[in-house]
Amino acid sequence: MSDQLDQAIARKYDAGFVSDIESDTFPIGLDESVIERISAMKNEPEWMLEWRLQAFRSWLKMKEPDWAHLGYDPIDYQSISYYSAPKSMKDKPKSLDEVDPELLRTYEKLGIPLHEQEMLAGVAVDAVFDSVSVVTTFREKLEEAGVIFCPISEAIQKYPELVKKYIGSVVPKTDNFFAALNCAVFTDGSFVYIPKGVRCPMELSTYFRINELNTGQFERTLIVADEGSYVSYLEGCTAPQRDENQLHAAVVELVALDDAEIKYSTVQNWYPGDENGKGGIYNFVTKRGVCEKNAKISWTQVETGSAITWKYPSCILRGDNSVGEFYSVALTRGRQQADTGTKMIHLGKNTKSTIISKGISAGNSSNAYRGLVKMGPGADGARNFTECDSLLIGDKCAAHTFPYIESSNPSAIVEHEATTSKVSDDQLFLCQQRGLDEEKAISMIVNGFCKEVFKELPMEFAVEAGKLLEISLEGSVG
Amino acid sequence: MSEWLASVVDRAERVDDWLSPARQQALQRLLEQRWPTRRTEAWRYTSLHTLEKLQLPLASAAENSTSEIPVIDGLQSLDFVFENGQFVGVAEAGHKPQPLEQARLPNGLSVHALLDSANTELSAFNKAKPSHHLFGLVNDVLAQQGLVIHIKAGATVAQPIRVVNRLSADVESHHRVLVVVGEGAKATVIEHGFGSCASVSTAFAEFTLAANSQLEHYRFALHGGEAQFFGGSHFNLGEHARLNSTVVGYGSQISRLDIDLNHVGEHAYAKMNAVYLLAPKEHFDLHTSIEHMVPNGTTEENARGIVGDKARAVFNGRIHIHRDAQKTLAELNNRNLLLSRGGHIATKPELEIYADDVQCAHGATVAEIAEKELYYLQTRGIPRSQALVMLNFGFIQELVNQMPNKAISEWLAPQLRERFTAMEQK
Repeated sequence: MSDQLDQAIARKYDAGFVSDIESDTFPIGLDESVIERISAMKNEPEWMLEWRLQAFRSWLKMKEPDWAHLGYDPIDYQSISYYSAPKSMKDKPKSLDEVDPELLRTYEKLGIPLHEQEMLAGVAVDAVFDSVSVVTTFREKLEEAGVIFCPISEAIQKYPELVKKYIGSVVPKTDNFFAALNCAVFTDGSFVYIPKGVRCPMELSTYFRINELNTGQFERTLIVADEGSYVSYLEGCTAPQRDENQLHAAVVELVALDDAEIKYSTVQNWYPGDENGKGGIYNFVTKRGVCEKNAKISWTQVETGSAITWKYPSCILRGDNSVGEFYSVALTRGRQQADTGTKMIHLGKNTKSTIISKGISAGNSSNAYRGLVKMGPGADGARNFTECDSLLIGDKCAAHTFPYIESSNPSAIVEHEATTSKVSDDQLFLCQQRGLDEEKAISMIVNGFCKEVFKELPMEFAVEAGKLLEISLEGSVG
Repeated sequence: MSEWLASVVDRAERVDDWLSPARQQALQRLLEQRWPTRRTEAWRYTSLHTLEKLQLPLASAAENSTSEIPVIDGLQSLDFVFENGQFVGVAEAGHKPQPLEQARLPNGLSVHALLDSANTELSAFNKAKPSHHLFGLVNDVLAQQGLVIHIKAGATVAQPIRVVNRLSADVESHHRVLVVVGEGAKATVIEHGFGSCASVSTAFAEFTLAANSQLEHYRFALHGGEAQFFGGSHFNLGEHARLNSTVVGYGSQISRLDIDLNHVGEHAYAKMNAVYLLAPKEHFDLHTSIEHMVPNGTTEENARGIVGDKARAVFNGRIHIHRDAQKTLAELNNRNLLLSRGGHIATKPELEIYADDVQCAHGATVAEIAEKELYYLQTRGIPRSQALVMLNFGFIQELVNQMPNKAISEWLAPQLRERFTAMEQK
């Protein structure tokens, strides 16, 4: 089996190409002047710059967290360039026709055509390339419904009240080391506002691409769903195949006001590095949402990429009867390391949360679930159910589970269960007996293992996720 | 380093006996340790601020009371009696303690005072206890009182061996027990600590189970009040060794117990049940760690706790399957009942797995008794208050009933029930 595993580990990373695009890139290094320049490039108001500088000053005093089950060489924050944008974006193209065709080709190659007529109807895309947003599609159509969907740099100019009110309200600027860094140097990302009672007419999506060498990507996404509204948001990411590690430190904030619902799905496919662990993205992401009364936030993630994943999409269930969900598939192979999970903080009465986490480890990889379920003293009748399953493929990988449970309310119920197993010879034998080759059988077994999560993904993403998994496991068992 | 730890180091430098080489290593490690804070993973939920600046005199025989140590009815145990960590003597069936030399020990059993054991048993010191336990290191450097218990290969010691320690004075004490169960030998060891004085005590025990040996083990940490207690029981399981262990804990100002089960020989089997019952305002912290270092081991762990008003329970259950430990079966289950809004439970079952052909699972729950179950009993004419006691207590009684020794479970069950009933009434 190990030969085939080696093949699997050596599988090609389809999104690993580099686009030949001239860029304006800041020299490497980070100090207050860099932040001032970023802020000036984005033409930001004074308060935004001040906010960034405050974050930067606290970041300087913070210590990089070391509690995760990850091992990597220390990151030199002075050897990274904190801003890079395609030159052609300098003049701010008015329409798609003015956008550099090489940029458009990049997205086409990734299977994300940006011409509206070619797109899957019903998905609006914000395409972020290195530090800038290239284009946001279907904006007019969304505006008709009153939905704001634009790059966050634009929202800071156009809707300063909204941004000022909510930015940092879920993830404070001193929340953690990587979030503080992001607050100081974030370059672009998406902003979404769904007005009261509106059901967003289409799926919103952001596609992140890192292209330039030695840059970091620090995007920031803020989604506000006003009372009684609904939005489904998808996020995808890829990067070229390089020998150097690149840093990605994003912050995502979700605000679901009374009766609102946000569904946030991610297919993360950053370059994972080669079989010896050379190269790949360091993915340190802070994602958190706040639920007010009767609101619901659902995180679904399929994590197949990145050399290092450090990511805990969380829900603060502040309002009574609010609901938080977390569905995750994390696949690691080669020398990938993932430490991912969620936090469900129950504060309101009758709040409910569900956590389904499926970890698959292959090769020499390490895959850890880390989660917190906290029942506050006011969480009367709150309920949590957690299921964490790990599947090991091969005898050199590792799977870990670190669930933290804290309860201060006698009427709250918390249930956690976790199992670890391997793809059993019996299951394989049975499938083969029915005429499936071994590779198909493995893929089927793994797909079945992940089914509970995949069914939560929007249709297009579910197809992509299934395919990704299949490619990742290709040849894993001959 | 806290003031208290500085005094430990100071005292340790004056200790000079046959264990000194081993103590020296421990002292080095201790000096490298940082004083735990809430950011220290192993002390995340247990604050040591009450200990930080505390200065108590070291225990001496002078504080010992003359009252008798309570016996476990019907057990007929051989009691090795300590008071404030100071060895008093050996007692049988409630008789007055005799000096160790005069005690008649059953065949196959030999017992020596820790300091008289010069080098012969050095191999058992610090073998099963991992070096990362802060208070274990404190015990390493300061424990001069203690016992080395040896069960001869092939011997079956039917009489239960009880090591009992009463805390009866506001002093600081440290004692250590080393148990070696020889190849194919069988024994029962009970570690029984109690007392609620404003004391600081560390009590650590190490067990080496040779191939094919069997040990029935009980650890009762029944402290209370202002006692600050830190203890541990650590086991090395040899090939085909069998361990059946039961831990019962009450809380106190701080009560912390670390249990380590190390599978060092293949095909060993370990079963561990733990029960904790916390009266109002008590704090109890149980950390268990199961290390499967070799293939084909089996571990079952069940821990259940009931937490009263303003009490805090901490449970951390780790299972670590090493790279070569294929075909391991390991299961851990932790269930908790929180009786009131002021109480707090923090539980973390952990799995760390480096081998693929294993079956591991853990589960944890925190809940209260279901209304449906109460209703059912009420329809049968049982008053609600009584139904509550039945259900809540039934929850831990299940584990008490699993104790292999009936005399012990019959001695313990009424005490637990009484404690629980008192908690409910408050």
